[in-house]
Amino acid sequence: MLRFAANRLFQLVVICFLISIFAFLLVHLLPGDPTLAILGPNDTPAARAVLLHQLGLNKGLLSQYGTWITNIFHGNLGASFLTKQTVTNALGVAVPIDLELIVVSQVLALIFAIPMALVAALRPNKAFDKVATTSTFGMLSLPTFVAGPLLVLVFAVTFKWVPATGFNRLSQGLGPNLKSVILPSVALAIGSITVYYRLLRADLIATLQEDYVTMARSKGLSTRYILLRHVMRPSSFSLLAGAGISIGTLFTGAFVVEVLFQLPGIGYQLVQAIYSRDYLVVQGMALVAAVAFVVVNFAVDFLLTVLDPRVRRA
Amino acid sequence: MDGSADRYDRRAFLARGASGAAALGLAGVGVPALLAGCSSTPSSTGRTQTHGVSTGTPKRGGTVTMGLNSEIDGFLPTASHWDNSGLTYANTIFDTLTVVAADGSAKPYLAQSVTPNTDMTQWTITLRPGVKFHDGSPLNADVLLANIQALQTSALTGQALRGVVSSASKVSDLAVAVSCVEPIVAFPYYLSTQVGYVIAMAQLESQSSTQPIGTGPFSLVSWVPNDHMTVQRNPHYWRAGLPYLDGVTYKPISQDQSRENSLRSRTIDLMVTRDPGAIRDLANAAGYQQVRNPSVGQGDMDFIVLNTSVEPTNDPLVREALARAIDVGELVRLFGAGIAKPNLSLFPPGSPYRPADNGYPTYDLTKAKQLVAQAAPNHGGTISVALATITDPRLVNEIQAIASMWGLAGIQTTVSQVEQVTFIDNLVTGKFQAYTSEQFGAADPDLNYVWMSPTTANGPIALNFSRNKDDALETALQAGRTTSDPTARAQAYQEVDKHLSRDMPYLWASLATWSVTGSDSVVNFNNMTLPDGSRALGFANGVFNPTPMWREA
Repeated sequence: MLRFAANRLFQLVVICFLISIFAFLLVHLLPGDPTLAILGPNDTPAARAVLLHQLGLNKGLLSQYGTWITNIFHGNLGASFLTKQTVTNALGVAVPIDLELIVVSQVLALIFAIPMALVAALRPNKAFDKVATTSTFGMLSLPTFVAGPLLVLVFAVTFKWVPATGFNRLSQGLGPNLKSVILPSVALAIGSITVYYRLLRADLIATLQEDYVTMARSKGLSTRYILLRHVMRPSSFSLLAGAGISIGTLFTGAFVVEVLFQLPGIGYQLVQAIYSRDYLVVQGMALVAAVAFVVVNFAVDFLLTVLDPRVRRA
Repeated sequence: MDGSADRYDRRAFLARGASGAAALGLAGVGVPALLAGCSSTPSSTGRTQTHGVSTGTPKRGGTVTMGLNSEIDGFLPTASHWDNSGLTYANTIFDTLTVVAADGSAKPYLAQSVTPNTDMTQWTITLRPGVKFHDGSPLNADVLLANIQALQTSALTGQALRGVVSSASKVSDLAVAVSCVEPIVAFPYYLSTQVGYVIAMAQLESQSSTQPIGTGPFSLVSWVPNDHMTVQRNPHYWRAGLPYLDGVTYKPISQDQSRENSLRSRTIDLMVTRDPGAIRDLANAAGYQQVRNPSVGQGDMDFIVLNTSVEPTNDPLVREALARAIDVGELVRLFGAGIAKPNLSLFPPGSPYRPADNGYPTYDLTKAKQLVAQAAPNHGGTISVALATITDPRLVNEIQAIASMWGLAGIQTTVSQVEQVTFIDNLVTGKFQAYTSEQFGAADPDLNYVWMSPTTANGPIALNFSRNKDDALETALQAGRTTSDPTARAQAYQEVDKHLSRDMPYLWASLATWSVTGSDSVVNFNNMTLPDGSRALGFANGVFNPTPMWREA
């Protein structure tokens, strides 16, 4: 187990290193000149030369990368040329929002998806299964940019139960905090419910047809006991893998929801930075989002090996 | 996608600031109409109430949350690119030396007086005594002089002041004399714009764009870009009794629909918008008060700016064909939400600067086709134009409609979206053919000099984006700038409008509509008074001042 973990950890470090190179080069691969964005109408050759020197962009790529990565290890991701806010501060605003969105949306998704999948798998092709499968299929075709405004229209504008935009931090109270994240979380959860339901349902149906389940039933064990003790665990691998990808993707993939609800998460700030060629912010945000994606999936991989030791030997 | 919507409004860039005045929103051919200043509705008592104005007794305390259309890039007048949101933030923390009054005149505000010499080549600014900045430091001539010198040397504001201010010197502890390069009749108006905000010496020295120190009604508590800006009441504000609120929070909400939803859900108390659909929806909704652009001065204009220094838009025949092929009435009908009205002039209807007939080419598809046929041989047989706008769905729809109209005249049009920063860069560096624009909102027409003078049309970086070099236009602009006689000024700017109609660097569409809408619990938000007791112009071109408002509940 330790060897497996060490091996995966090494892979993680290598991947993060490669990500850092890609994030660094990303800005250089983008069309346009970041100095032009910074200087705007003051873009004279002299001003540009001074700025290139200040930003270190007149040095070789290797040297620039070395400086950048060294600064990162010292906790310095640079600062926005536009707002002068440090990238670290911007991440301090963005990360709690994304983390809470991810946690609440995924908890909601699992709360709905797991019981639905269990009931549907126990009686496949019966009424509940058909209704659940059809309705989740419908939910899958409901993009967040449609679901989000609909939720706002009903729960914020009509009933005024929750705010339409903005994020209230936990320090402002649990109630205001939950009110501000519930709608965007539901908007995000809708897609996840569908995916999780379908993955789990399919695996559950397959597992329920295994011989050992038949044996358990013949021994007179209760359906509930069989499901929870013998069926759930081997049926949850696809669900876990799917959740890993989904959670990792949400670090930046929640962009649409973040724009709709005006939540300055990583995705929102990253896109804003790209629009304004705020290249240090782009680099920092992209790096953090990519590393978060890899780390989440590393954690899920690790969890899978705990659930099923055969994965370690694969 | 948006979000972008609005870095620098994300539409307005150096804009109002750099020019010291003129607004350069880079939005687009839109809607609009210079609408009557304030809406009025019958109250429950049957008496007509003016929106945003209360005759009741002010209530102290409470806070208000306001949704703005964009985020700013800092609080440093010499370096920050303030659009309407930036100027709203600035009105909250700082004060300007003058303020435009409801009658359109520029009146002293932080200054006690602004007086010219006989030929208006020198203006003496005398400050109010006893005014202190948020850090407790005094406002005096040394601070003002340092501010003016910083503005002059700033790469951003220096461009705008170059043709206005030549030098400044201290006259007394509270007075500074500003020498102008020529008679500048509209000098007091310049002091009501970005170059008129005075910051503390400590901020000047630190050059901090995140820690503003002003004399304004509120001081900064926190600013988290893209999230919120919160301010608290300045207990030592030089205007006794003001402001009434304990604090204000501004939230940049780039999407118009999200901002409207936030207002309707009571997430925010006030919102600014220039979206005609939102303005229409909220105009008649119960429980809200709406104020639109005033009928004083000159509102922002929606138009297409043509680059007169590149093919094929350097050809007057092509420019006229483009102008004649646009059915502005239809465009406004399609996208104006019943709010907008066409406007084919630099000036709005009713302006003394608007000639009875400026000669601007009106919609005539047959004539447009003839002009295309006439011009095409000089441009390789076909007329092809690249038309672009910023990444705003509404504007994209509009330019697609325009491209379709041009297509009917035989003009091949490629349509594209350009992200805001590149859009601005392309304008100032001349790397465009036809771009949508929103600009020219100003209390005095001279504030637009920098945007249309041939003197700023040269070189790789030009604030006259169209690069239109018309000596007769410059003569008219100079006449308006240096003449104090109202009749002569009116004649001069009427000439300006006629020259622009002949040159066609701008294809006019409509007046940009701005509005601020508040819930009924927030009152008196458009009733700013001046130290002499007169009324200020108030909300104009998306710029708001929170000083007079209070919360009823």
